Amino acid sequence: MRNRRVIVSVITVGLLIPFPLAAHHGSAAFDTGKKVVLKGTVNQWVYSNPHCLLTLDVKGEDGQVVPWIAEGQAPNVIFPVGYRKDSFKAGDQVTVTVEPVKNGRPMGRILQAVLADGKTLGPASSPPPNAAAAPQP
Amino acid sequence: MRPLRHGIMSVGDCNLRESAFVGLKLPGTPTPIRSYNAAKPLLNGVDLDGGVPIMLNRILVLMVGLFIAVLGLPADTFAQNSSPGGWLTPDWDKRPITDANRKPAPRRSLAGTWGPADGPGAGTQAGGVQLKPNNGRPENQLPYTPAGLELYRSHKALEGIDAVLPAQDNDPRNRCEPLGVPRSNHYNIRLTQIFQDEDKVVMLYQYDNRWRVIWTDGRELPKVVDGGVEIAGEVREGRFSGYSVGRWVDDYTFEVQTVGTMPEDRVWLDSTGRPISDQARVTETFRRVDNDTLVWSETISDPKVYARPWDTMKLALRLHDPRTDIMEYYCSPVEQENYNKLFGNAAGGKGAP
Repeated sequence: MRNRRVIVSVITVGLLIPFPLAAHHGSAAFDTGKKVVLKGTVNQWVYSNPHCLLTLDVKGEDGQVVPWIAEGQAPNVIFPVGYRKDSFKAGDQVTVTVEPVKNGRPMGRILQAVLADGKTLGPASSPPPNAAAAPQP
Repeated sequence: MRPLRHGIMSVGDCNLRESAFVGLKLPGTPTPIRSYNAAKPLLNGVDLDGGVPIMLNRILVLMVGLFIAVLGLPADTFAQNSSPGGWLTPDWDKRPITDANRKPAPRRSLAGTWGPADGPGAGTQAGGVQLKPNNGRPENQLPYTPAGLELYRSHKALEGIDAVLPAQDNDPRNRCEPLGVPRSNHYNIRLTQIFQDEDKVVMLYQYDNRWRVIWTDGRELPKVVDGGVEIAGEVREGRFSGYSVGRWVDDYTFEVQTVGTMPEDRVWLDSTGRPISDQARVTETFRRVDNDTLVWSETISDPKVYARPWDTMKLALRLHDPRTDIMEYYCSPVEQENYNKLFGNAAGGKGAP
């Protein structure tokens, strides 16, 4: 499969997401537990509801460029974990780790992003509940 | 209760913050007029003549004032997130409430900006209502009536154990329909603002900028009838937020009853497709545990869908700075369509292109 050739690396098996993502569309479409690391060039970063979308071109070992789409949660959700409207700019060289969709299309949701300036951001979703901070009502 | 400068009545958390700054010179305020006698000799601002150190007294008064002000400040005032240009971002790393920093609850007040005590991810309830996630476990099975179970099976949700792929769902949310009450209580609860006056409590939900009114002026809860509610002999329409009345059970416990919500073909109970009908009666309890903690509980009674009442949530909320800027979280049909076109439909499709 062509898509497989452009995947820089794939890591499978294991519970890679330690908490349920607050997905707008659910998790049924995603291959839970799988990771794909993409190194590519940003085309567009759409900072909007219900999900933010990052499009990037990823060149495979065979020289073929495949456009990927990686999604994050809504701006309101990912702002606290560091994602901003200008986190990605067209032309940026970035490394994005995604949980891919099951159907093999070049799509996934963002588990980690290494920005052009080297800054690393975590999952583009809600942070896990902080049990330590919970009061005892 | 008193009016604040933006014209909205509020109580509780604002008082300390405002009074704490009395006596401090704020940027932009006029410099106080010095009252010492300019003809008298001064050393470092201290009046050496006559043994009356006016400037020293002022410094001491200022220091004492500052000390008192610091004692009066809420502990979290020192833990603000960055606020570039005064646009305060939510502080999700607050110190836990302990005996050392616990302050007493104000009497009969829910006013404030509230967020889940366990952080912004604690109120999403993506997998179903907080106390009964839809994960297939026996303890989370709901007491459906036959009609309720049939309704549930007709719902194609994107969350929960029976989730379908995107583009196969029929969740009214994905058409940007109002969630209504009670689903608004079960959907991405992050920062919720509560205002109140003598006659009502108003809740502002962050998702889709929705608001609801809970009347506290003594009016009666309408009677549920087919197609809506009855008020003074007239049948009135069902509403997404229903008709809510509240009363103080005691000085720190506020109970809300809601009826007259929308029918089951318009609204869901939660994101996993559990149903709710227009025969529902929603009972919410808000218990102000202390100044910074509010516990929000809810019980659903709906004889059309559920054989008996059951508890959906008991969510602890933490008070946030009232100046916190709350981001928009709209359901925009245009953005929704764009998302489906770019991602949602393809992600939920079968097989690679």
